[in-house]
Amino acid sequence: MSEANINPTQSEAPPHITAKNVDLNNCDREQIHLVNAIQPHGVLLVLNESTLSIIQVSANTESFLGLSPAAMIGQTIDCLLDNENVAALRSQLATKNLADGFSHLLTVSCVHTNERFHLFGNRIDELLLLEFERPNDTEQFSDNNHFLRLNATIQQLRGSTSLLQFIGIVVDQIRDWTGFERVMVYRFDTDGCGEVVAESKSPDLETYLDLHYPASDIPAPARRLFMLSPLRHLPDVDYLPVPLIPENPPLLNGRSVDLSYSFLRSVSVMYSGYLRNMGAKATLVLPLMKDGELWGLISCLHHSTPKYMPYESRIPVEFLAKIVSQMMNDKEKMDHYSYRYQLDQSLHQLAAALERFETFEQALVLGKTNLLTTLDAQGAVLIINGKLNLLGKTPTEQQVGLLVVWLAQQDELVFSTRRLPHDFPLAQTFKVIASGVLSMRFSRANSDGIIWFRPEEQQEVSWAGNPNKPVEFIEEGQEIRLTPRTSFALWKEYSQGQSRLWLTCELEYAKQLRQVISYIIVNRISLLTQINAELERSNAELEAFAYVVSHDLKEPLRGIHNFAELIKIENDVPSPEKRLQRIETILSLANRMDNLLESLLKYSRIGLSELDLQSTYIGNLVSQSIDVLKKANPEMGVTFNIQPTLPIMNCDRMRVEIIFHNLILNAIKYNDKVKKTVEIGCNTSVNPAEFYVRDNGIGIPADYHEHIFQLFRRLHGSDEFGGGNGTGLTTAQKAIKRHGGRIWMESSENVGSTFYFTLAPDLISNKEVMQ
Amino acid sequence: MKKNRPLLIIEDSDEDFEVTCWALNKIGFTHPIVRATHCEEVLLLLLSGTTPADWNNLLPCLVLLDLNLPRMNGLQFLRDLRVIKSPPAIPIVVVSTSNNPSDVSTSYSLGAAGYLCKPLSLDSYVEKLRYLTHYWFDAVTLPE
Repeated sequence: MSEANINPTQSEAPPHITAKNVDLNNCDREQIHLVNAIQPHGVLLVLNESTLSIIQVSANTESFLGLSPAAMIGQTIDCLLDNENVAALRSQLATKNLADGFSHLLTVSCVHTNERFHLFGNRIDELLLLEFERPNDTEQFSDNNHFLRLNATIQQLRGSTSLLQFIGIVVDQIRDWTGFERVMVYRFDTDGCGEVVAESKSPDLETYLDLHYPASDIPAPARRLFMLSPLRHLPDVDYLPVPLIPENPPLLNGRSVDLSYSFLRSVSVMYSGYLRNMGAKATLVLPLMKDGELWGLISCLHHSTPKYMPYESRIPVEFLAKIVSQMMNDKEKMDHYSYRYQLDQSLHQLAAALERFETFEQALVLGKTNLLTTLDAQGAVLIINGKLNLLGKTPTEQQVGLLVVWLAQQDELVFSTRRLPHDFPLAQTFKVIASGVLSMRFSRANSDGIIWFRPEEQQEVSWAGNPNKPVEFIEEGQEIRLTPRTSFALWKEYSQGQSRLWLTCELEYAKQLRQVISYIIVNRISLLTQINAELERSNAELEAFAYVVSHDLKEPLRGIHNFAELIKIENDVPSPEKRLQRIETILSLANRMDNLLESLLKYSRIGLSELDLQSTYIGNLVSQSIDVLKKANPEMGVTFNIQPTLPIMNCDRMRVEIIFHNLILNAIKYNDKVKKTVEIGCNTSVNPAEFYVRDNGIGIPADYHEHIFQLFRRLHGSDEFGGGNGTGLTTAQKAIKRHGGRIWMESSENVGSTFYFTLAPDLISNKEVMQ
Repeated sequence: MKKNRPLLIIEDSDEDFEVTCWALNKIGFTHPIVRATHCEEVLLLLLSGTTPADWNNLLPCLVLLDLNLPRMNGLQFLRDLRVIKSPPAIPIVVVSTSNNPSDVSTSYSLGAAGYLCKPLSLDSYVEKLRYLTHYWFDAVTLPE
């Protein structure tokens, strides 16, 4: 099987786009790193690393190294370097990391010319790439000077108070260091479009500051290469590319050597064309990285002449660019510091308003601080229960409605786009108001949320009038698209329906606001659930209560009715005694009913009014209750043992008196002993304090301990033990529960009962909290 | 069926018991009527298998059970009866003022043979008791 068969797709794969067939439409696919040519200011050798034999060389070897390519190919490196240098090279190859780019290995003398060269190496695709460059022999460089200068620059950068000022210092310093006539900083947007954000230039040049350009000006492959090499240098825009010889060395199997990291690599014809159009003769480009991403470029242009930067002069600039990259993060944060601070302030005010106001509309739209107070947007919409609340400059309600449906289909709960009409074509009609959208949904359950709108940007840029009159180098009769002016036009075309970028801090603001709102919604839901549960419970209680009440009231009522009927029926049977007896029964039933109603009223009053908490001496309260009972029944013959040290409690005096009255009354009533005793006390060693009322009465069978607190539940006939209607304990319990306390009992039949109660909620123990 | 098997009324209210007796008398009910005011005593008697003299030493032919009773209430009585290994073959009809649906359904689910809601008017009460006695003593066959 041949190789072609192994990889059948190979023949169908699109042809590589290289300098030979590139144009504006495909330059984003041009494989610049496979260009197979270099610039003429140095020499490139491709070697087999293990044998150090030469596979491929740039065609210009003779003028640098004194040997023709033909004389070198197939030889080992020994044809160029003496034994000492070869040994030194081998030891460098063994120790240096050559995988991530070209490293300076040695400064060597060539055996044929005795000329000195800087030697750089890179290991890629199992090949060793060596580049030779002439050292700077004309200028004297002192390392000390470099350090002092670098140090001063870094100090100055540290002192800058905004990103713009920071970048301003960078371009000034680099122009000063390198002598390039124009030094600019480009900043990339997320979509690859860019803008010149800083510039330092000689006074006679026209400014490029604030120029916007489309992504195609620096296409993705170029951006990738800028990221890979710490520095790109084009000493002469009009250079003649030096091809690699042979074009297809047998050892490479038809592959082109990957020059991604090559310093000498030939540039894209589109790039050099663009530079020519701008009137630049030489360039130096350094990447600005932030968080591992290409944030922008430092671009140096020389307009009057070609300009070569030797290795010695490049090092400090490269070093400076790296330091600048390191410092970028902090500086960018600093840049939006006051904006972020204001956003924070607004967030706090909105959060406070959300707590204070009942509705989201009141808190977020109608208040003094609203959704547009700080956030840089012209309009906003709050969607609550599907209802739209428009604020500021927004599309129409109908248009927003369509947008809301579309947004609900997005995966992210916090969503942003600066190119809404591109993502959502229906937005084309209102792009002037809403090319940028920042939105958040409170939950995935529905489309409720907030949307902010940003207008189309190019109108803003045009208004600002920033592009001025960018230079034009269009020769008559020729159509050349790549000029700064046509770039701006292209960018304008591209940025139709595009707004300014949403900043990280703005997205963060939306996220935080969403969290605040979600928190409030969750709280409200749980509160609602709680209220509903309580309502259900109280409804169930009320229903049960209604049945119990109607039943217990009906019983005597029915009796009255029946006996009255009996009297009526027995009218013709004259028996005055019988009739009197019937009337007595009716009267007693009426009394019982009155008594029931009275108790019921007392019972319901316990829950009606607010608790009136006062510091109360319980001892006094107990004495009062006993006095009342004694007055009603002077000869009950009960011995009261009251603990002398009853505490002072913060409680509702009236209700606590009812508690004691009912418990003591029961203690006396259900007692058949000759010597009746009632003991009242309090255990203050526990928290909350436990009161108790103890008797030596008839006790309560264990089976009924849980029933005795039910309304109208009696354990005895209505005439036994002085009669009771089954409301005493229920009433006491209600008064206790009103205080948050609880009541429980211990009892054994014929020995007596003890009722305990507290007047405050139980403390939750740590153990329970842990659980 | 032995004519002297008693009808047992479990009722704590003297007035209600009196009215029920009056009504039964009015419709010509002839079986002896016995009364208990607490369910517990009835439960004990049924459990022990002995029947007192005033019951003519016979098990009641029918029980009219009030629900609202002190201590053990009617529903609890029905519940406890079901736990007895060999419960006596006596139909129990609940006679109560309560028209609470949950009382009605609970009574039936606990094995009540009927549920009679005591009306306000004496006439209706007499009518209801007439139907009740017709049903239990003329229409259906009660166990011996």
